[in-house]
Amino acid sequence: MPPSIHPVDLIIALRDKHLTPAIVFLTSRRACDEAMQAFDHSHILLPPPRQQAIATVLDKVIAQYPSIAEHPLIPTVQRIGVAAHHAGHLPSWKIAVEELMRHGCLDAVFATTTLAAGVDFPARTVIITQSSIRKSRDFMDLTIGEVQQIAGRAGRRGKDLVGFAIVTPSPYIDLHVLTKGFTGHPEAINSQFVISYPMVLNLLKAHPLDQIQPILAKSFAQFQLNQRAEVLERKLDDLRDQMEPFGPRVCTDWITEWQTFDQVRRQKSHRAPVRRYEPPEVSARFHFLTPGRVVGFGRSRGVVLRQYRSKGQKSPMITALRLGGGITESPASTVTEVSDRVLDCVDAPVYPWCTPESVEELLHHLEELPGRLPELPILIPKDDEPIPDAIVQTLGDFACPTCPSRSACQRDYPLASKLRQEQHRHVKSIQALRTSLWHRFQEKIDVLQQFGYLTPTARLTDDGEWARLIRIDHSLLITELLRADAFNGADPAMLAAVMSSIAHDDDRPGAFPRVSSGLGSLLGQVRKLAVSLSPHEDPPLLRADIAAVTERWIGDPMLTWIGLCKSTTMAEGDIYRLLARTLEFLSQLHTLKSTHPGLADTASRAIAALRRGVLEELP
Amino acid sequence: MTTEELEQLLAQQPIALLHRLARGRIQRHFRAGKRRLIEVLLRHSAENRAGFESDLMTLIGEQQARPVPPPQQAPAARKPKPSAPHRRPAHKPVEQDSHEPAITLSSWLEGLGVPPPQTFVPDAWQEDAIAKLRESDVVVSVPTGSGKTYVAVEAARRAIAENRTVIYTSPLKALSNTKYTEFSKIFGPDQVGILTGDRRDNGQAPLLIMTTEILRNLLYDAGGGEIDVRLDTLGLVILDESQYIADPERGVVWEETIIFCPSQARLLLLSASIGNPHDIAEWLTSIRPTPCHLIRHSTRTVPLRAGYLHPNGKLTPLFRTVGIPHGHPGHLHPEAKRLFLQYEDETLPSGRRR
Repeated sequence: MPPSIHPVDLIIALRDKHLTPAIVFLTSRRACDEAMQAFDHSHILLPPPRQQAIATVLDKVIAQYPSIAEHPLIPTVQRIGVAAHHAGHLPSWKIAVEELMRHGCLDAVFATTTLAAGVDFPARTVIITQSSIRKSRDFMDLTIGEVQQIAGRAGRRGKDLVGFAIVTPSPYIDLHVLTKGFTGHPEAINSQFVISYPMVLNLLKAHPLDQIQPILAKSFAQFQLNQRAEVLERKLDDLRDQMEPFGPRVCTDWITEWQTFDQVRRQKSHRAPVRRYEPPEVSARFHFLTPGRVVGFGRSRGVVLRQYRSKGQKSPMITALRLGGGITESPASTVTEVSDRVLDCVDAPVYPWCTPESVEELLHHLEELPGRLPELPILIPKDDEPIPDAIVQTLGDFACPTCPSRSACQRDYPLASKLRQEQHRHVKSIQALRTSLWHRFQEKIDVLQQFGYLTPTARLTDDGEWARLIRIDHSLLITELLRADAFNGADPAMLAAVMSSIAHDDDRPGAFPRVSSGLGSLLGQVRKLAVSLSPHEDPPLLRADIAAVTERWIGDPMLTWIGLCKSTTMAEGDIYRLLARTLEFLSQLHTLKSTHPGLADTASRAIAALRRGVLEELP
Repeated sequence: MTTEELEQLLAQQPIALLHRLARGRIQRHFRAGKRRLIEVLLRHSAENRAGFESDLMTLIGEQQARPVPPPQQAPAARKPKPSAPHRRPAHKPVEQDSHEPAITLSSWLEGLGVPPPQTFVPDAWQEDAIAKLRESDVVVSVPTGSGKTYVAVEAARRAIAENRTVIYTSPLKALSNTKYTEFSKIFGPDQVGILTGDRRDNGQAPLLIMTTEILRNLLYDAGGGEIDVRLDTLGLVILDESQYIADPERGVVWEETIIFCPSQARLLLLSASIGNPHDIAEWLTSIRPTPCHLIRHSTRTVPLRAGYLHPNGKLTPLFRTVGIPHGHPGHLHPEAKRLFLQYEDETLPSGRRR
């Protein structure tokens, strides 16, 4: 059995059950295109009157948008009555398909699930072939809201008595996600409040700093944070009630008092303290008595095998291999000479503390050593009296041992301290929830002050005044480029090319025209700046190949749309969107007429050169 | 094959085969004895006789192809632990029992067709939304395709009649263009204007269509002292697809637009079904001068039915009931479930089972 139903069979099945027109949601653009190709040699033709109806509608749309007259899909649309509709197509083609659907001419439209929100035409039936959707490079299960959004296209008001949502499996489909989506209640939505640089600048332009916090408090983000804070506050109230029996006793803050008392009590050891006396030179030397160190004991000589401080011994100890083969344990103070020589020694966890082979080797080396060895210079600190730690409390300072409520304190302490810790945690989280938005805003203010868009009193500087007009993604990069005068002397094509590489955020691979050397070096500068700004703003992709597409379109006024599309493997719709977004960025630069007249002029020339052919057709 | 013949044939088969046949068709078939099982299978087969018979024949074929086990092993095989028959296959979803028999394909397809033409009568909620908009802001959260546009059009018509400016925003430029065409047809081309990132058509018209970003920018400029559009005569702001407020990248624009929206203008938020529309309404109540009114409902104007189409072209209902069994994702149609399990068995690599 095939992994999923063949498009031709699908259409036959739908026609057979009178379930047309249908929208078939497929995983990818390619799947839509392949589905269209499947009809190339099929003979499930429409009756001539319906073909005629399609031709009439198409003619009307073509009269308005001539760019789609030669569209390769038109023959299939006319013969079979099916069409593809996805982001890779020109908007005018999509308008044509929507118009055909509205007139009820088509039997099926193949669309991508990604664009479900943009598919603004209903049908009798929707066909769902997948349960996950590509979201920023990852496949995620459809949410209930999304399934209902997709299924919502089924059933045309006034044209259908019922709508049908039909699942047809393809590999990796999870039926449970879809059944849950059909029968479930849509998810709650959450605020996604992102504080951007233009937002900070524009708010500070209109309002003084001390009025900002109340404005942020009006956001849906703060509303939802407050909701969470209220939940915590209710918990806090509960905790307060639970803490009722643990109020003030003999001392007001008995929990802290008992806590310190308990700690001190635990720390005090039950044995009499062992008092070690180490002369300062011994403790200074001890750090150097590491395995392999050659040391002198009076007249004889040895190699340190290990060092230790045993609990029973009062002084630090070493184990040494003596000249002659004896292994001795002796206090570190017996070492008279620490030489500046370390022999190789392989440690072992048990006696003789190194491998038998290395004992042999060490002995051999020890005998070979010259009579006089350089001494290790060890700096011995002055012998200073340790300060008696006055802060350390002794048990005698506490009233607890004799306090009348001692037994009650001891009994209640674990519960009371747990409750109080929880209280503190909630208080902290509530504070964080109430002020987090304001802190995020202040972080942005700090960055803008650092770059000189804001004065230390958070007023707009001259640069800030024009920078607030740039209200697009990557605004900091663009304003910094303008301040660095990066576009000085750039022609319209170069300016637009850089803007399009900043605007483009899709990493779909493909083949593209070559980039000119001038543009290449300019993009290199932009990239360097973007990297240096990366702590404050995510750098854009800055694809040179994308820039080259725009550069060609503007640089060569004779280039036709077909010619441009042929120079790259990028889909028509993607090129259109790229250029449209570039137009938007350029028109933002155009608003800087008063402060950057040269740049605004270049931008308006670029806009004029950009807007021709297909880009002129649509409002 | 007549029913009697089928019954005889079933009676001749070993009980294990009957259980295999029942798998995916009948609930808790392991509990039934042989006679009961045959009875239930026969009743079930009435819906889809041909499919049932072909499955039976393939099973019998498989049975005969397999070497017959020596008879002395039979008593040993009968002795498995008593709990074993109760074990369900691991990949089978646990589901609540619904006792009504599942619907048939023909009753599922019933009612398909074009309704008789009738004059458009607005739904009660639509009337309600328009009426409430007279005194307060309104949030509308209804399923896709319920007729939110009607509310927008009527509200806009009224505001224009009162000489007030109306701004209609949508999240996508393409949607703005569609609405521009649509509204131009309704109100006349001189009454509708469009503002997008780089273009401005008929900017003095009483009904302005724009993307939400453009409106936000206008409100920024108004805040900074440079009035760009007649914000003082602004009477109504319609935010379509306002569930975009949860969009990770652009959601903030909706919030800003709502926060900075002039207080004399009414807000109309149109959104698809979302889980917490009351939160949005409460939020608006807390920041706007008038309390906000929430209109929500979840029933679709055109009822929806869900189906399952097998890659071999076989169509069955997806759920046991004609409509969508809200809140019961497990009420699958036995035929759809059987076909889907079969599909998974055939397409999943043998090591991987869900």
